[in-house]
Amino acid sequence: MDLWDVIVVGAGAAGLAAARHAREQGASVLVVNKGLVGRTGATITSGGGVSVAGSTLIALGLEADPADTEEVFIRDMLKSGYYLNDQRLVESIVSGIGEELGYLIRRGVRPRISKRAPGHSSGRGVGIPGPDMQKAMTSAALDAGAQFREDFFSAGLLQNDGAVAGVAGLDRRTGEIEAIPARAVVIASGGTTSNWRLRTAPEELTGDGHAMALDAGAELIEMEMLQFLPCCLVAPEIWRGIQFPWTIGPQAGVRAWLLNKYGERFLARWDPERMELATRDVVSAASAAEVYEGRGSPNGGVYLSWAHLPRDILDNFPSWSKGYKDWRYQGFDMTPLVERIREGHAIEVAPAAHFSLGGIRVDVHGDTGVPGLYACGEATGGVHGGNRLSGNAGSQVLVQGRQAGLAAARAAQSNKAGAPAQNWDALKEQIEAPFQRERGVAPVEVKQRLTAIAENALGPVRTGKAMTAALEEVRDIRRNVLPRLASRNRDPRYNRDWSDALECAAGVPVLEAALISAIGRSGSIGAHQRRDIPGVKAPLEHSIVRRQNGELAWRAQPVEFPIFAPAA
Amino acid sequence: MRIHIRLARSGANSQITSYDLPPAAEAGISAKSWEGASVSTALQYLQRAVDPRLAYVLSCRRGLCNVCAARIDGKVQTACTTPLHDGIVIEPARDSLLLRDTVVELSLVRKARIGASTPLPRVD
Repeated sequence: MDLWDVIVVGAGAAGLAAARHAREQGASVLVVNKGLVGRTGATITSGGGVSVAGSTLIALGLEADPADTEEVFIRDMLKSGYYLNDQRLVESIVSGIGEELGYLIRRGVRPRISKRAPGHSSGRGVGIPGPDMQKAMTSAALDAGAQFREDFFSAGLLQNDGAVAGVAGLDRRTGEIEAIPARAVVIASGGTTSNWRLRTAPEELTGDGHAMALDAGAELIEMEMLQFLPCCLVAPEIWRGIQFPWTIGPQAGVRAWLLNKYGERFLARWDPERMELATRDVVSAASAAEVYEGRGSPNGGVYLSWAHLPRDILDNFPSWSKGYKDWRYQGFDMTPLVERIREGHAIEVAPAAHFSLGGIRVDVHGDTGVPGLYACGEATGGVHGGNRLSGNAGSQVLVQGRQAGLAAARAAQSNKAGAPAQNWDALKEQIEAPFQRERGVAPVEVKQRLTAIAENALGPVRTGKAMTAALEEVRDIRRNVLPRLASRNRDPRYNRDWSDALECAAGVPVLEAALISAIGRSGSIGAHQRRDIPGVKAPLEHSIVRRQNGELAWRAQPVEFPIFAPAA
Repeated sequence: MRIHIRLARSGANSQITSYDLPPAAEAGISAKSWEGASVSTALQYLQRAVDPRLAYVLSCRRGLCNVCAARIDGKVQTACTTPLHDGIVIEPARDSLLLRDTVVELSLVRKARIGASTPLPRVD
């Protein structure tokens, strides 16, 4: 069997950046992806582009504000992240993005510089549509000579005396369980948002990489921090999680009103100055609080209304009338919705799980601390602290991808012999178990339970009572239900029940880690907002989870301020 | 609502199977009616509640990634953005790319793929 220098798990922009950079160092690189490369993953759905300091843009020959230095950009990220960010990661991304953007431009990507992205103090948003980014990164990795395994579900890390020695998983097409040995592994499997019911991101982001990393001994950081995107559609079903109302409302600066079922503009209680134009974490928390307190709409949202504005305002807004030809938004024709708005109807909207701010803990080289294990992109945590500004994920995935790819290539070089896996038999048995089990619980039922738990306990506003009950339920599922998951389908090929079972096995530790992190924080900060103890602020501490003697253990660690300290 | 799906489990012997969907409220989907739901939601429901062997793919749910492409009422479209209606006919996007049921080969990296040639699986 081939021994690869570097295996990259995941093929979004982060994974493909890691693959290209590792390959350019001479490493042999295999990218393994749960779905199809160039199609699955969150990159394709991103609309924000890439944030770059003005001074960096000027150095690339682009027009920008010279007063927008790297320092100003770093300060913006820390301020929006409530100073919970890992400042070294922030600095690495801000100073490293110019080189990666320059590479994309040389490959023919045409960036569009935005005037002022929301929350940024300067016009540093470089617009690159998600599909363009995904295409450029895919062809870059192909050209560099990376090779690929598709429809391969990575479910465990091979290890030798604690060091990572490859990946074990399921070929979803053939139903074969395989061990693929490697000298170093980079996890780039994206966030965990598929464990929430209403979400903007694609189906496959269940946190498989997080679960593997935990099992291998890595730490997770800030797992309770989940970014919600406000004003997403809740009905009809086909449009659930689509952000269209946000883009023709508050995001565009249009003064649409958010109303509860009594017609009150509830943001007056949260941000009387900016109201609906407040930052997205505030709008999300305010909307969720209305639902939580019984003032929501029939489908579990609130109302977004343009009725006080001229009927034709939507037709006279150049910023989208150009972008949305015939009201096409992504793959949908939104004309029926626009017609309803023109007729004066309010639209039901709710915050949707959008981006995992927490994740696998890494240093600036993507090093997890476990020998041979690296991680990058949305799978990692700590970059954005308690909230993320638009476009900053694009910068994160490109720079972290490079760093992790380079570090993994270096690690592979100093590990020429490779090492045999000691845990292959155990992993194989674990992956095979739900398929072998003749009778038990249908995995899809557990998936639905998990998303309901996340929605109830880990939404934009939270209570101690709901989180404690949820933790009990998740632990019960771990102990009593996961060992009974059984595929109802005896054919190993294209077996949805089987892959659902593996996704449940990842979702359970992801939610358990998020819940113990959330409960560990003694108050509110950033995306973690306690509704039952209003006004109680959490101290500036990282929330860290690792596996100890089989159980997940939580600890707090004070945030360091090597670059900027928050104003006293 | 009655929908028709051409399931390809054994190569040339693919055939149309018709399904009567129960009222949406009883199906455990987050929709009040099937008309407001997508073809992908129906496939998910059928795999969950009727035929656990049914193979389907779904990723972005917004018509960007195209993994769910199928021939719907004779036209190739993304299942996730196509609303259901009574009598809808769902077929593989192209028979020559068929892998299983409505799943077809849509890889963009075939030339650099390990284990690239996976034949259409046969089921007894």
